[in-house]
Amino acid sequence: MERALKFIAGILPIVFASAFLVPVIDQGMQAAGLSAPFGLSTLTFALIVGGAWGLFAQVTGRWI
Amino acid sequence: MNAYSNILPADLSQLSEAELRKLENKIARKYSGKLPWIAVVWAFGNLAAWLSLWPLVMFDILPLWAAFPIAVINLALVYLPTHEAQHDIIARPGTKLRWLNELVGHATSWMMVLPFQVLRVTHLDHHRHTNDPELDTDITSKASGPWDALRQIVRQRQPNAKRNQDYLESLARNGRPDLIVLSLAYRIGFIAILGGLAWNGYALEALLLWWLPYQIAMTYIVFFLSWAPHHPGTHRTRYTNTRSWKSAVGNIGSMGMQFHIVHHLHPYIPLHLTPAAYREMRPILEARGCRLGDN
Repeated sequence: MERALKFIAGILPIVFASAFLVPVIDQGMQAAGLSAPFGLSTLTFALIVGGAWGLFAQVTGRWI
Repeated sequence: MNAYSNILPADLSQLSEAELRKLENKIARKYSGKLPWIAVVWAFGNLAAWLSLWPLVMFDILPLWAAFPIAVINLALVYLPTHEAQHDIIARPGTKLRWLNELVGHATSWMMVLPFQVLRVTHLDHHRHTNDPELDTDITSKASGPWDALRQIVRQRQPNAKRNQDYLESLARNGRPDLIVLSLAYRIGFIAILGGLAWNGYALEALLLWWLPYQIAMTYIVFFLSWAPHHPGTHRTRYTNTRSWKSAVGNIGSMGMQFHIVHHLHPYIPLHLTPAAYREMRPILEARGCRLGDN
């Protein structure tokens, strides 16, 4: 259990981005009536932006 | 007699160090020892108000835009009752209502995604080592001014922040490595709840009722409880490591922290009584060369 928690804690930015940031971007765009560029769905767009941001935070240790 | 006190003589200049200390303690005792029901009602009232926002929003009784500022206020108000519990102010160990003290602490601290015991251990370390660059768990809020403080507060909430490391080291130093795992469980549980809500269509509710209010509230709490009362964060002695000051947003707006010096000197005095204790104690604090504002 402890090892599992520590493993997840080690990749927390990616977990946070996948679990929360992606649906927030997706549902936020839908609520605001925004469409994704290049004909992408809002979910695909959210996966790209949220995933990239999570990866950035994972590598650099900071979100902003 | 002093205008605010029937304990202090008008002239303190002839009193010895020991006599000053005796009078100071006498005033402190006058304001302590009673159960601060206000903190208990505050804790559970605030918790109930915040919890009620979720069904109200999900069943479209309250619009999300209206619930958001209420949630921000709820999250901002959550820390002070648990702070009273950290210092055993509601009930000391071994007393009849000790369970209530612990209940207040545990029932509210989870909203801030931290176990009560972690808050207690790390906060007491802050009291023991105030403004120590190595050992003070809150030293990372040290900043040159209010804007720098806000920048620093945001910086110290990033994944690689020194503040995270300071908290972990404090737990290890105090022989509580078990709480490190519990902290991780809280953090992961928080993300699991947010994620569960978000992937079931409630992403904006989770964002605006918990995650964003939590971020705003933590900024506010650290600014007024950690940065402002200890600024500039360089004084290390008992009577100078905190200060009193007159806040532009008043005593309520600064969550009673204008009189934080009294809390550090006598942490068993309930928050709502620190202004009165401060006014009565002020001549002693002046005699001791404390850093006092115009309040």
